[in-house]
Amino acid sequence: MKQQEESVSIGMWLFLAQEIMFFGGLFTSYLVFRWRFPMAFAAGSNHLDAFLGGANTLVLIVSSLTMALTVYYARLGNRNMQVILILLTMFFGSIFLGIKGIEYTEKYNDGIVPVAGLNRKVKAPAESEHAPAAEKPCWEVTHGEEHEYINPRGEFQWADCSLAKMAQDKGFLTESERNGYLNSAGQIDANKFRDKVSIFFWLYFAMTGLHALHMIVGLGLMLWLLYKAFRGTFGPDYYMPVEMSGLYWHFVDIVWIFLFPLLYLLGRHFLH
Amino acid sequence: MADNHDETQHIGIPGYLAVFAVLVVGTIGTYLIATIDLDDILFHGANTLVALVIAFTKMACVMLFFMHVRWSPRLIWLAAVAAFFWLAIMFSFTMQDYFTRAAGVFSF
Repeated sequence: MKQQEESVSIGMWLFLAQEIMFFGGLFTSYLVFRWRFPMAFAAGSNHLDAFLGGANTLVLIVSSLTMALTVYYARLGNRNMQVILILLTMFFGSIFLGIKGIEYTEKYNDGIVPVAGLNRKVKAPAESEHAPAAEKPCWEVTHGEEHEYINPRGEFQWADCSLAKMAQDKGFLTESERNGYLNSAGQIDANKFRDKVSIFFWLYFAMTGLHALHMIVGLGLMLWLLYKAFRGTFGPDYYMPVEMSGLYWHFVDIVWIFLFPLLYLLGRHFLH
Repeated sequence: MADNHDETQHIGIPGYLAVFAVLVVGTIGTYLIATIDLDDILFHGANTLVALVIAFTKMACVMLFFMHVRWSPRLIWLAAVAAFFWLAIMFSFTMQDYFTRAAGVFSF
């Protein structure tokens, strides 16, 4: 028995090790591009809702606690507590996905999904073709300023480059940033900067999307556990399926523990 | 296992709640510290460093106690540590390339 349990564990841990590699590829590209364009990343990050991201972190931590307690009661063979705690874990997992859905919807409505055509489409009113809006430099567009949303093709929208301007004025733009943001006159080019911010959002959607996919798989796993636990399968002599599903669930929690500060909080200290 | 049943219950419910409390404090702490500009107080990039230190602490708590690595055989420790070792190789080999590129055709 002991040997069986150990071989099950080592298999699961090797699976988790390759999962770390799986996410690791995305973390590596994050590292490369953030090192290249830190101010574009900070600007993109500040647009995310850190309150929702933080709430999601807490929701996942609570679900990790209920998962750990599920394993505890599975070892005691307490069927009712197992069922209750698995249901709670699924409940918090669903809350997480719900909040994620709200965030994705906001991105869609704000036009910052970095794939053309996947944003809310709004046709330009006819009269604006004759009276073009007063063009002002992108660093004077302040964050959160009300402006008309016109996006006939559903393209990625980004108007605010004030953070890059601030860094330029203070003289800490790196060489790769100067190449990446500035035009030949040494002014920040709104289009070039927008492309660098879109890299951040591309990574945001890839990382949180892959994470959400893992959450959905985890919920499926919980459904299966719920069925088995309800039938009273688990007890002191047989609880490895619960323990292994717990390892998976905690792993997904750990990934989010890193995604939260790296995606939501990295430019927060510039806002004050 | 019947023979080591007491041991397999690990830290018990109070222990799990204590770990949970550490994780909640860590999360709120990460958020609050992120709103303070440590660039001027400490050094440039200190915000990210502090956030990552807290994240690694939280990860260690989850792995040691929720995932029971603390009581696992050495082979499990090896698998867990090896995963991060490979990750470190991936990070360092990728970045040593980018750090040493001169501005030119392949830089951007």
